Amino acid sequence: MEKKGGFVGWLDKRFAVSTLWKVMMSEYYLPKNINFLWSFGVLTMLVFVILVVTGIFVLMYYKPDSHMAFDSVNKTIMMDVAYGWVFRHVHAVAASVMFLVLFVHMGRGIYYGSYKAPREVVWITGFILFVLMAATAFTGYLLPWGQMSYWAAQTITTLFAKIPFIGPDLVIWIRGNYIVEDATLTRFFALHVTLLPALILIFTAVHLYAVRIVGSNNEDGIPMTKEEKKEKGIPFWPVFMAKEYFVMSVFLLFFFFLAFFNYNFAMDPINFQPANYLQTPPHIYPEWYFLAFYEVLRGFFFSQNLGLIAFVLSMFLPLFLPWLDKSPYPYISGKHRPMFKVIWWIFVADFIALTVLGKLPPTGFFAWLGFVTSIIYFIFFVALPIISYIEKKKVASGGGQ
Amino acid sequence: MKELKILLVLVVIVGVTYWGIEPLAHSIMHKHVEEAIHKYNLPDYEFSDLGGTPPLDGDAAKGKEAFQMFCTSCHGLKAEGINPPMDAKTAAMSFGVVPPDLSNVASYTDEKFLYHFIKDPAKATEFKKISMPPLGLNDEQIADIIAYLKSTAKKVEGEELVKEACGRCHSVKYQKIYAETPPSNLKKYLGKVPPDLSIIMKAKGEHYLVAFINKPQALLPGTAMPRVGLTKEATEDLMKYLEEISDPHKEQRQKVGIIVLAYMLVMVGLTFAWKKKIWKNIH
Repeated sequence: MEKKGGFVGWLDKRFAVSTLWKVMMSEYYLPKNINFLWSFGVLTMLVFVILVVTGIFVLMYYKPDSHMAFDSVNKTIMMDVAYGWVFRHVHAVAASVMFLVLFVHMGRGIYYGSYKAPREVVWITGFILFVLMAATAFTGYLLPWGQMSYWAAQTITTLFAKIPFIGPDLVIWIRGNYIVEDATLTRFFALHVTLLPALILIFTAVHLYAVRIVGSNNEDGIPMTKEEKKEKGIPFWPVFMAKEYFVMSVFLLFFFFLAFFNYNFAMDPINFQPANYLQTPPHIYPEWYFLAFYEVLRGFFFSQNLGLIAFVLSMFLPLFLPWLDKSPYPYISGKHRPMFKVIWWIFVADFIALTVLGKLPPTGFFAWLGFVTSIIYFIFFVALPIISYIEKKKVASGGGQ
Repeated sequence: MKELKILLVLVVIVGVTYWGIEPLAHSIMHKHVEEAIHKYNLPDYEFSDLGGTPPLDGDAAKGKEAFQMFCTSCHGLKAEGINPPMDAKTAAMSFGVVPPDLSNVASYTDEKFLYHFIKDPAKATEFKKISMPPLGLNDEQIADIIAYLKSTAKKVEGEELVKEACGRCHSVKYQKIYAETPPSNLKKYLGKVPPDLSIIMKAKGEHYLVAFINKPQALLPGTAMPRVGLTKEATEDLMKYLEEISDPHKEQRQKVGIIVLAYMLVMVGLTFAWKKKIWKNIH
């Protein structure tokens, strides 16, 4: 260990900061054949930090009370507090953009086979983070207590009623009332500002720890040992981060454009009407990042039960990707898997179609289109084991590329 | 340029999704609104569905007499020192809603609409439950009354306009304007308490509001909102005011937005330069 004096040396003896720095940053090596999509992991952390910081500021003026919530957001924060609107806009837009970044981050993981052995723990902790983030977004969306806040919460909590035996009681337990009311607001608030962010922090730590153990995947899915990466790769600090800062800057340019000039997608006009449990809005839809799953739920329009099962499956099937697809090298990265590429692009197109359909009224032609696209969603997860089986046989017979 | 190709794919995916969930979805969800606007050619400041009017060149002096005979049992006209016969609370209890003071009504209400309104209030407002009955006046009397109302009216703008034209039923509580008629009376009269107008512009948008105010039944059949016959000028002034109060920091937002974007643009340049420097010897 190199000798250091002063404060850093003092701290080093007691806290091993320079070792920590080396392990986490300067001597953590990444492969060279990665593209800018590998920067999206750090972007999620950036957006999370933005959410926490803006969240703390809006928390200072927000009132978790069904009589005061709407005005505390739309009057106090948006109009009275100096620059309160900046924090609200940035918080709302960041919540939305978080899912854009997450989808890209997860999509990159799927396309390049980053969920495969030995990175199962990375994938699972990442998936848990996605679920936690979804829960945080869902609870947070109720807080402004607008019409869409209210009816989205009402609709989604009603889904739990379909669970056999305990369903109806469970719904009341979740809401703390027979309908979504003050009790629901305060508990969603509590979860949104304490438990859920705390869990996100913990799982982020585990996720990062796991990545430090197994290392990053690369574009070609070539398995590399730590020594190989050290020899041929780049250190996380400063080389990777130099690129990361550039990606961050471009991202933030785009992000602040949205926050200041194009924010309606994250702040639905209908939500500027206060919650009214007597008046259902003509169209109820969740925020855009839940639309695809919501459409799978509605897609089986002839059977609510079937829709609910499909909905749960659509959200949790991705968790099992490492076991659905076990094809070995050279069939790790989608780049070198012709058959995988076909179902991948069908999956991406289908996910977009589901997202768009999820907002449209589910009638006539759209209902049938929703049904077909919902079925196609599952084709990916059915085809994956088959493709991987064929590829495994190819490798066993000395094939491959 | 592999990275740019990936970026392009990403931009296309995000762009198509955005187009689908914003412009496309809204155009489909709000189809009935556009259809109604197209069908009735809204906003129609001629109120052409009510038909024509006789020449409205009445005599204000005769109108004053007619006004005192037919109107003052319910309405006041403070500009001429005529007080309403009842206080607001009693009036609200008797009629369901406080009858308007008519001092300035002709400044923001179209005269053709006023004619049809006095002739048959329920038909002109398209609100069947309206408290004011048809008075059976002849065309000459109506024209005289309109001439009189025009002679007393002074132009009202912004907050005054919203108070006079909307404030008997609607509150604008973020501006500390509260509906003249108590909410409990309104609920009985209209079936519900009308929405607060503080941030209605954000919820509904100008395009919708202009058409809705012009002909409420066309956009929201069965609504308790009566047609009030605002002139083009008054409608535009009202929209300007509602826009200002719903988004008071618009100017600040645009200014700060430009500064932030400019700062980020500089950061893009600096970080790119640093990346170039660090990566010079790599590859």
